[in-house]
Amino acid sequence: MTNHYIDFRNADVILNMGSNVAENHPVSFKWIQAAKNKGATFIHVDPRYTRTSAKADIFVRLRSGTDIAFLGGMIKYIIDNNLYDEFSVKNYTNASFIVNPKFSFDDGLFSGYDPTKRSYDQSTWALEKDENGVPKRDMTLQNERCVFQLLKKHYSRYTFEKVVSITGTPQEDLEKVYKAYASTSAPNKAGTVLYAMGWTQHTVGVQNIRAMSIIQILLSNMGIAGGGINALRGESNVQGSTDAALLFHIIPGYMPTPREQWAKLEDYNKTTPSTKDPRSVNWWKNRPKYIASLLKSFYGDKATKDNDFGYAWLPKLDKAQDASWLNLFDQMYNGAFTGFFSWGMNPACSSANAGKVRQALAKLDWMVNVNVFDSETGSFWQGPGLDPKKIKTEVFQLPCAAFLEKEGSISNSGRWMQWRWKAANPPGDAMPDGEIIYDLFKKVQALYKKEKGAFPDPIMNLKWDYETNGKFDIHKVAKEINGYFLEDIKEHPVDKKEYKKGTLVPSFVFLLDDGRTSCGNWIYSASYTEAGNMAARRKKDDPTGLGLYPQWSWAWPVNRRIIYNRASVDVDGNPRDPERAILKWDAVNKKWLGDVPDGPAPPMGTEGVYPFIMKPDGVASIFGPGLKDGPFPEHYEPLECPIEKNIMSSQRINPVIKIFEGAADTFTTCDPKYPFVCSTYRVTEHWQTGVLTRWLPWLVEAEPQMFCEMSLELGKLRGIQNGDRVIVETSRGKVEAVAIVTLRLKPFTIAGQTVHQIGLPWHYGWLQPKDGGESVNLLTPTIGDPNTMIPESKAFMANVTKLTAQPAKKSKKA
Amino acid sequence: MKVLTRRDFLRVSGITAAGLTLSRLGFDLTPAYVYAAELRTELRIKGAKETPTVCCFCSVGCGILVSTDKSGKVINAEGDPDHPISEGALCAKGASSYQIAVNEKRLSKVRYRAPYSNTWKEVAWEWALGRIASNIKKSRDKSFMEKNADGKVVNRTNGIASVGSAAMDNEECWLYQKFLRSLGLIYIEHQARI
Amino acid sequence: MADKSFFIDTTKCTACRGCQISCKQWNMNPATKTVQKGSHQNPDDLSYSTYKLVRFSELEVDGKPRWYFFPDQCRHCSTAPCMVVAESMGIQAITKDEATGAILFNPKIKVKAKDFSEIRSACPWDIPRWDEKTQGMAKCTMCIDRIKEGLLPACVKTCPTGAMNFGDRDKMIDMAQKTLNAVKAVYPKAELLNFEFVRTIFLVTDDPKKYHKFASAEDTTVIASLKKLAEPALVG
Repeated sequence: MTNHYIDFRNADVILNMGSNVAENHPVSFKWIQAAKNKGATFIHVDPRYTRTSAKADIFVRLRSGTDIAFLGGMIKYIIDNNLYDEFSVKNYTNASFIVNPKFSFDDGLFSGYDPTKRSYDQSTWALEKDENGVPKRDMTLQNERCVFQLLKKHYSRYTFEKVVSITGTPQEDLEKVYKAYASTSAPNKAGTVLYAMGWTQHTVGVQNIRAMSIIQILLSNMGIAGGGINALRGESNVQGSTDAALLFHIIPGYMPTPREQWAKLEDYNKTTPSTKDPRSVNWWKNRPKYIASLLKSFYGDKATKDNDFGYAWLPKLDKAQDASWLNLFDQMYNGAFTGFFSWGMNPACSSANAGKVRQALAKLDWMVNVNVFDSETGSFWQGPGLDPKKIKTEVFQLPCAAFLEKEGSISNSGRWMQWRWKAANPPGDAMPDGEIIYDLFKKVQALYKKEKGAFPDPIMNLKWDYETNGKFDIHKVAKEINGYFLEDIKEHPVDKKEYKKGTLVPSFVFLLDDGRTSCGNWIYSASYTEAGNMAARRKKDDPTGLGLYPQWSWAWPVNRRIIYNRASVDVDGNPRDPERAILKWDAVNKKWLGDVPDGPAPPMGTEGVYPFIMKPDGVASIFGPGLKDGPFPEHYEPLECPIEKNIMSSQRINPVIKIFEGAADTFTTCDPKYPFVCSTYRVTEHWQTGVLTRWLPWLVEAEPQMFCEMSLELGKLRGIQNGDRVIVETSRGKVEAVAIVTLRLKPFTIAGQTVHQIGLPWHYGWLQPKDGGESVNLLTPTIGDPNTMIPESKAFMANVTKLTAQPAKKSKKA
Repeated sequence: MKVLTRRDFLRVSGITAAGLTLSRLGFDLTPAYVYAAELRTELRIKGAKETPTVCCFCSVGCGILVSTDKSGKVINAEGDPDHPISEGALCAKGASSYQIAVNEKRLSKVRYRAPYSNTWKEVAWEWALGRIASNIKKSRDKSFMEKNADGKVVNRTNGIASVGSAAMDNEECWLYQKFLRSLGLIYIEHQARI
Repeated sequence: MADKSFFIDTTKCTACRGCQISCKQWNMNPATKTVQKGSHQNPDDLSYSTYKLVRFSELEVDGKPRWYFFPDQCRHCSTAPCMVVAESMGIQAITKDEATGAILFNPKIKVKAKDFSEIRSACPWDIPRWDEKTQGMAKCTMCIDRIKEGLLPACVKTCPTGAMNFGDRDKMIDMAQKTLNAVKAVYPKAELLNFEFVRTIFLVTDDPKKYHKFASAEDTTVIASLKKLAEPALVG
């Protein structure tokens, strides 16, 4: 999230699209209701009428997988009706930048496409620079190669006629949403968007979010109270675990994972984003300080200037290697791994094409599974259709403490890092994850010390000293993440002050690239300082009156509560919306008042710095040349879709997605055997695969069994009545469910034909409860977004039929 | 005593003037007051220790107050009214937190499943961690790649993968990635990808 | 302690069921065995161990879907028909806390099935429940133990949106009337259900029957009686 949960209350219009906020982030609805109480309009756009839709002022349906068409139509509407905020578009975005003359877009393909490689050469997407290397601009926005004109041209194709035909949304509904949302372009109006996996779990996932980002930029809704782009993340600490880089492509603090082509630290530091524009802060220029400090937090005294701070000890990816989830399990399925950790996860139910995952697990020599309860992953070897006597995998199931049985912090979607205190002891032998990891590594290290082995350096040189009085101490890890001064610094280059060796750095601003500082994750630097554990703060002062609560917990970075907040002020630093002023320049005392600003520099003025300090060009990107599938979002059909031809172009699917071709990966499109669009989702009463919630009797009572929601029309078509048992099937697998035949789903008219959509929750699994049903991920395809490789679990093709043998019905009616 | 049915109630109440009380109907209320005295007048969390924490489910980050009795057992878990985001509120999941703490189905022993076995066996931490460590070493040593097909130094372990976990605290996540990267893993993934 | 009331604004209920579970949690009521029958409402109904239940009702209004949520519970009537009937049968299992107005069941007192059925049928909102095993009756307690200590009832405390409210009766009546006036601008059919003689006042925007069969006391004779009995004590 650029903003935070309480901030919803500051919005005039709230667009919930690609998520189901009332059901999946229920308590945040408090702040939507607070906005509604003040007259805000709440819009829900979704294939299905949900508990969220029930509370929406405007509810509009669209076919799953057509968000770009929907939003592309909104971009066209905003431009056609001159509803964008001209000041902001000209000054704070790249709308005026000039694009390379070789850039083109034709019939669904951007320039530079190589069909054999299924990828783009992005060089023609570059922005033109002047002789000083500064991007060329046309502040009149008239140049036909300027971003604004290219945007206008690109989305001129998204006519109502086409958008209606693709999405199945009636034109009057589109207009209703476009009009309401575009009203937030006035500087004194705020519009916010709340999304989740409904946008990410598509083969155009990143571009769904880009499309909305473009709208937010056009309407000057970024960096303001009540605005922003707000991902409602699914787990209590999935923000923190992402920040900590438990992902193949990054190391802590969103720095790229080292690759073969960056053999030395010097090479790695060449990845540092640069700009020749003196007005762009380009905060990422500091990367060398962050990587040096990170390496010091890994290897301590063993990391020296002479050995590149141990950079060689970090594993390197191949040049363009993608080791993401779907590839990981594909590799496992192909027998590439002997060992596997499934730590606090349940991939046997959570992964797309879970049937493939279950087979893959049987190809391991050993697996470590750490969980609070047993899971379909830990017990996969006794799962349906498997014979334990034929499965070699050695399984270790380690019991861990639950959240209230240990101390530590988690980061919510609003980037608030909140400390949790320990309330009780874990049961029996269960231990906090941190202690398990700590002890396990000590064992590994001892083995390597004793027996040597392959390249022991990174293991033997690892700094692993997080004990107090012989016991693992989570505070020591928290401090390591914040970072230390490792030497006495007489006069720090930043503030000319003296800092003592062994003290905690006040923030990442003080990190150095010469080995004199350590920091485990630069974006968390300032979270645990000499002033104490910031995440543990519980003071409720609210000086702006906008619900920032700057002394409650701590938010990364540097306790900034709204990111890009310099976009909320005019060039003189005055709030563009005085009623919702999160930032204001105090010209007399030469300082910012309000939220922690995006960098301390004075207002932009005519010579000062641009507002988007994390972007190399200093402005928001309407044109985004960095993505694999194009600088502008373009509608493509899901890999599995109900229509033969993409109405927008000859490219039916995203031209750069990777197609898995193994035996376990099959796909169907426009196949009469699988005629219905299918989506997976969650309900309030369960969480993820149900790995916790299926063991909690109160929640099982409330949502006891797998269901499949469908329209009355589809029920009639298939002879299915409410409460009947049905089979839902794709080319990958099938699951049983209870039919919920409901008027909350409706068929769509797509390109003149009737398209039915069904949906199922992904909370269930064979292990518990016994009559709960199986995982819906037995149905989902192995296919991902080209940028993120997040699977397309929101739009695939399935069939549903009535189960011939229906269980005896109880006569008593509810 | 006459049994009053619903119909009788209507009749009685229909003819009775405003302000009718049960005692005026001649009922003996003593047993009811005896019951009132035996009601839980004592708040069951009175004097219990309250510990603030944050819900483990979605990413809103609602505050929870956990009450524990003198023996350290969790006896109640409800919303933290001081928390600025949730202000004491919890949804169905958060309100069920108590059943995470007090649940006989919790894993409380380290379990081991030997190759080709059809049962779990309870084992000691020391044994399990020792065996996992030696498995790690075996897999790592066997699959460690110093140089890749391009002849470039990569120093990585190709034979082990990891998924997890957003279910851990920040500090644990950081420690876990440090552990995995020191082993040379590149297949490091978790919930954020799916 | 002043006369208390609930005000339940169904326009704000998102059916997150925090109230349903918080009630179970506070009262340490066990889960019951349920199955999916084609509705998200579960359990089916109130029971000996379910005092609070969010009822789900789907319907079409002007060709558009509506989903009504009704967080059902005891109304804590001014004169509780269940209590009157029970007392008349010599069953001293129901009492009223005079300070708050809470109607309380003593689950420890055994009641025969036949007698219970009389008690249950006396309630226009179909609230009382009984357990075959213990032969005791149970329902919402107004969290009497909590409110005596100044805490909110568990269901109210946990409600994220302001659908569930609790406080002194005059304040709740005031809140209910003001909310009704505002809501009426959008939903002309909005009404407060039986507010003159109950301590759990629901605001609905449509025919109460569309929310739940027993959402509102409908028997005109019963209503007249209860209204009469309530005067002047409860009328706000």
